[in-house]
Amino acid sequence: MEWFIAKIFAKYNYWVFILLMMIGFYGIVAKDNLIKKIIGLNIFQTAIFLFFISLGAVKSGTAPIVDEEIIRKGYVYANPLPHVLILTAIVVSVATTAVALSLVIRMHQEYGTIEESEIIEKSSDKGTTWT
Amino acid sequence: MKSLRAIALILIFLLCGLFIYVAEDIPVFGDPEAPPIKSVKLFTMEVDQVVSLLDQHIIPEKLSRELVKRGFPPPSHIEKIPGIDGEWNAFIAKEEPHYAKEEKYYWIKKEGDSVRVSRYAFVVRWIEKGLEETAVTNMVTYGLADYRGYDTLGETTVIFTAGVSVILLLRRRSRL
Amino acid sequence: MKEERRERNVVVETVARVMIPFVQLFALYVIIHGTGGPGGGFQGGVVFASAFILYTVAFNLAGVKKRFPESANTIFSSLGLYLYAGIGLLAIIFSLGVGQYLNYGFIPFTSHFEENRALGMDFVEMGIGITVMAIIVSIFFDLAQKDEKGSEEEEGEESR
Repeated sequence: MEWFIAKIFAKYNYWVFILLMMIGFYGIVAKDNLIKKIIGLNIFQTAIFLFFISLGAVKSGTAPIVDEEIIRKGYVYANPLPHVLILTAIVVSVATTAVALSLVIRMHQEYGTIEESEIIEKSSDKGTTWT
Repeated sequence: MKSLRAIALILIFLLCGLFIYVAEDIPVFGDPEAPPIKSVKLFTMEVDQVVSLLDQHIIPEKLSRELVKRGFPPPSHIEKIPGIDGEWNAFIAKEEPHYAKEEKYYWIKKEGDSVRVSRYAFVVRWIEKGLEETAVTNMVTYGLADYRGYDTLGETTVIFTAGVSVILLLRRRSRL
Repeated sequence: MKEERRERNVVVETVARVMIPFVQLFALYVIIHGTGGPGGGFQGGVVFASAFILYTVAFNLAGVKKRFPESANTIFSSLGLYLYAGIGLLAIIFSLGVGQYLNYGFIPFTSHFEENRALGMDFVEMGIGITVMAIIVSIFFDLAQKDEKGSEEEEGEESR
């Protein structure tokens, strides 16, 4: 019973974020519409950010801003290193979403549809150089 | 597209199993003594005469030999933590322009009848000495723009490149 | 194919006209107070860009393009990056014997080493804020453009 509680119930945050990651992953692989795939990618990235930030939580820790009174009273600070790394990763996610959306606009101007199966049929009809 | 959904579900179960197997070693949610925030355990030694040598601020030979054997720099200076019995800080020598020439690196603790040697994590220097080194009170800002300044330079290049790619894809010949 | 005119909404237009200057002022506050409390360059840049998006949602796209033309946009987006790399180059020039790239302590703004680092960080955060604002506004204008032939209008991009 001790082993059960220590290994499974004490780490409940990781199981929740893994569930969110799998929801996003299902959206990328098994949906036909291109916009739904992009939304699945965003959900996946958000779940990874939350997973990484929850690694840096400390029990009864305050926000990482240095203050004289807090040091005197003896409080503990939360870990500021994951926050710094995730700020960079959020900006990379915004850049990826912007380029993906502009690619979807060009595909719509070229083929007239956004469903993946219809695009595969039309592109094999048009006679490209690949077979 | 029924086969695609079945393949997706099988892949999801395999990936879930892999993640749950990996998450056994990750520290418990909110642990204040976990490796990312405080220290990483290196090895343990027997007590012998190490404790009495450490109390007189002399570096034992056995400690330096064990550390060099594993590839870590040997300590140059030992101090006792005030107020707690049985714990010591060890410093190493560093070459940095304009700052103090030594850095707090090892944590030696006596528990029971063995001595545990561990190495401090990197964020201990951020939290304790950030205000006197940079005169800024926000830990995330001086970590992003001063200690990790190269990462932020590459970051700004990434978002600039994304803006240029969207311009190249979406503007017609007459407006470019 | 005749275009339909959008009907004007008085409540949305009046509220947007009042709110836009205060949103921009708050964005400048977030950028400049990055060293004293929560905030910084990336956050303030995105809030600044959201003021232009509010204008587009309440009014039309042609009005914004008159006030913030594309030539000014391309100048701003590379100005921030020049500022960042330029401060690094100044640090190499002023640190004579050692020659370190982004060590702001050697640039002689004031007389203490630590306060020079804080002022160097302020300049760097302002550069990041300018670049992020210009790029997000440019991406939004490109995605919301209507073609001249009158084909689909794709609007909007989620901004964080």
